[in-house]
Amino acid sequence: MVSTANQGDRRCATNLIRLLLVTFAVLLTFLHNRALADNSAVDTSSVVSASITPLAPPTSLVVSDHVYDNAERLDLVWVPSIDDKLIASKLIEYRVYRITDSGDGQRIAVLPAGANSFSDENVESGHQYSYYITSVGADSEFPSISSEPIEPEREWLNYHLISLLLICMIIGVAITYFIETARRGKKLFIRRIAGLEAIDDAVGRATEMGRPILFIPGIQDMDDVGTVAGVTILGRVCRVVAEFDTKISVPTSRSLVMTAARETIKTAYQTAGRPDKYSDDMSNYITDEQFGYVAAVNGIMVREKPATCFYMGTFYAESLLLAETGNSVGAIQIAGTSNPMQIPFFVVACDFTLIGEELFAASAYLSSEPKQLGSLKGQDLGKAIALTAITIGVIAATGSSAWHIGWMQDILNALESIFLTR
Amino acid sequence: MMGHYIALSLLAVLGLGMIFIFYLTVKGRTIERRFVFLYIVFTVSLPLFVKMKPPIQVSPEVQQVVETITSLSPGAKVLISCDFDPPSAPELQPMLVAFTKYALKHDLKLIFMGLWPLGPSQANRGLRLALADTIIAAKNLTYGVDYVNLGFQSGNEFVIQAMGGSFKSMFPQDDRRIPYDSIPLLNGVVNYRQIDLVMNFSAGKPGTIEWIQNAVDRYQVKLSAGNTAVQAPQVYPYLRAGQVRGLMGGMSGAAEFELALNEKGKASSFILSQMFSHLAVMLFVIVGNVAWLMTRKKK
Amino acid sequence: MSTEFGVWVAALMTIGLFSFLYKDNPFFKVCEAVFIGSSTGYWAVVYFFDNLQKKLWEGIFPPDGAVGDAWLWGGAILGILMLCRLSNKIGWIARWPVSFIVGATAGLYMINYFVSSAMMQVASTMQSLVVTNGGGIDWQATIGSVVVAVAVVSGLIYFFFSKEHTGAFGGVAKVGIWFLMITFGASFGYTVMSRMSLLIGRMDYLFGDWLGMIR
Repeated sequence: MVSTANQGDRRCATNLIRLLLVTFAVLLTFLHNRALADNSAVDTSSVVSASITPLAPPTSLVVSDHVYDNAERLDLVWVPSIDDKLIASKLIEYRVYRITDSGDGQRIAVLPAGANSFSDENVESGHQYSYYITSVGADSEFPSISSEPIEPEREWLNYHLISLLLICMIIGVAITYFIETARRGKKLFIRRIAGLEAIDDAVGRATEMGRPILFIPGIQDMDDVGTVAGVTILGRVCRVVAEFDTKISVPTSRSLVMTAARETIKTAYQTAGRPDKYSDDMSNYITDEQFGYVAAVNGIMVREKPATCFYMGTFYAESLLLAETGNSVGAIQIAGTSNPMQIPFFVVACDFTLIGEELFAASAYLSSEPKQLGSLKGQDLGKAIALTAITIGVIAATGSSAWHIGWMQDILNALESIFLTR
Repeated sequence: MMGHYIALSLLAVLGLGMIFIFYLTVKGRTIERRFVFLYIVFTVSLPLFVKMKPPIQVSPEVQQVVETITSLSPGAKVLISCDFDPPSAPELQPMLVAFTKYALKHDLKLIFMGLWPLGPSQANRGLRLALADTIIAAKNLTYGVDYVNLGFQSGNEFVIQAMGGSFKSMFPQDDRRIPYDSIPLLNGVVNYRQIDLVMNFSAGKPGTIEWIQNAVDRYQVKLSAGNTAVQAPQVYPYLRAGQVRGLMGGMSGAAEFELALNEKGKASSFILSQMFSHLAVMLFVIVGNVAWLMTRKKK
Repeated sequence: MSTEFGVWVAALMTIGLFSFLYKDNPFFKVCEAVFIGSSTGYWAVVYFFDNLQKKLWEGIFPPDGAVGDAWLWGGAILGILMLCRLSNKIGWIARWPVSFIVGATAGLYMINYFVSSAMMQVASTMQSLVVTNGGGIDWQATIGSVVVAVAVVSGLIYFFFSKEHTGAFGGVAKVGIWFLMITFGASFGYTVMSRMSLLIGRMDYLFGDWLGMIR
């Protein structure tokens, strides 16, 4: 037989167990739900971070003034975002912002992923500029730290052109040295120039035939070196003309050249001891217009039929027109121009032609002026430098390209760094 | 069509005439220079009536110009310097017109100027021809927005140099005396840095070489050029050094350019005359040398 | 046939100037005089309005009331000094503005010309004589490269004035003059093309624009 107290205890224990079980179940459920909530929270957070892709911003942004410019450029350099280097990088591009006076960022450039530099060319001196760069994903943008304000500067000297300065100094010193040498009376050798001996003969021919001489000092103005050389040769020709008492005509295309020509002719006549024979009518201004001038000179040639025509200076399209007309009137023609495009016409139509720099050499040779002689000798040094550089450069380029000789490549690089000033 | 056949027949007669001249030369007879002038006039004029186009091949230097131009995107600003006058127009005007037509069809913004006094008026002529094109006319382009003519400025290479600092300093007004700041196209255009390409059409000095010396090497300007045939050989060293991006030389360069851009113009129609005139000159040179050799032999 | 007066004037003047090829005649002289006179007048007008008025006057006194460029006064003074040339007594003063022009141009040329036309050309000449293409030698480019190098060196030697052209030096100079003459021949051919182009342009004007025979 079981006692009632035992039944009550048993019932109490059962209830207790039931309570514990229920509590445990409730607790379990609660915890499970909590876990579910946490998971969905994680999912949420992953949903949230899918719309805001976290990206590391670029770092170490450095803004510097671009050297040797006109205060018109600032260079930005930065370390790309570490996300940029990932294989499955979510970084799409970089954006460059300039901070305005109000503190806002004004976007000035969009650069592809991988970029680490940019030059802002819309800057002016007298203003300070600061920037920041953002790394941009599909849906997010993360800025770097802003740079310190910087002002573009204008340098006094462009050291990229130092080689140019050195070469100019070498040639300049050489020219000065030779000019001084010539001034001290030392004879500077200039090789014989064919065509110069013909000048005296040509003037003599005109005198014998009783026909005038026509001298054309080119169609450019006195700021052109060819014209200066032409007028110098005119002085030499006029000394002979003054001695032989031959008529000379110098039509010009520029009023300034007319004035210089008149002075030169007057000086030549004075030097020859014939100042009374000089007349201003020996040199006249025609017109600035190229073909108007040619038409007038052609007319002079046909009407006056000069015995000798000199074309000394800078010529363009009118060269053949002049030479052909001079040829048709039977004149002896001596020409000299530095314009390589017109030299062929003078070569075919004239009796003697001074090619290119021979015009300046002739001017120096005839005048024996120390400045001209010294300049010519100095230029020869320049040519020697160019010749040496080209010879060494070609050998070095051939050696490095054909036979891959390393030190020849170094020589070529060194030469190019001297002569390539861009 | 009748004119085409008559002209062809006359050209054949000229060919026979050349044989006759050669015969006379071999016989020691001199040829009257006026006859030579007349011969050249006919050789040049008759092909103008012949409706025949000789095959034209685009040379590498012209192709380089075309590639430079076609690489520009719509809205790109091109500075065109017309440094020539009417005597050089037969060679350079066709290039200018072909380029202007291409540029306006492809929405390039054009800024014309000139370092020669008559250059801007040549630009205006080219613009008038280009704007008359049906495709371009349909676009209803506006002066000051799509194109502008800054006019002439004296000073030669000093102008080119000064423009590196400020266009406005050299051109405070345009050709129509509109202030620089009032022209929408020039809004934001301070100097070469806002220009995508400089096209230079040049007949002499100042011209392409001055642009190279004062703009390309100094301000890193991108330059393409069209020159007269006289000037072109002088520019080849700069082409070789990469200082100019392509070169169109003379009328043949203009014809190649028209072909490459598919803009038929005057140069293409003149090229047959050019061919016959060259042939005539070559034959005269041969005849003249034969005569000289025979004269030497006799002596 | 054109009915425009200007076209007729231009066409008749073209024919008048061409008549010189036959012989000098009064018609040519009239056309020549008109051409010279009108071109001189044109230049005078262009220089007056573009330089004196537009550049100088409107530069110093801008029409829109902006501040003028005071530096232009310097240019104006130099220009006035040029007029002193008209007087024998004070004509020497005109040398100062001429010196300024010559000096400024020389200064500009010294850098720009030297860089573009000398330094860059020397650099671009330093090319390999042997040009390869893929695995083998590109013979066309190689020959071209050799020709360029020899032509530049021999041409430079020809224009060397400090030594007489004798011996080996003279031999190289002779090669140089040969290259120069070939170059002149090539540029002569190019120039013939240019002249012919101008003639073609004129013939097109006469037969096309004037007579209307070409469409």
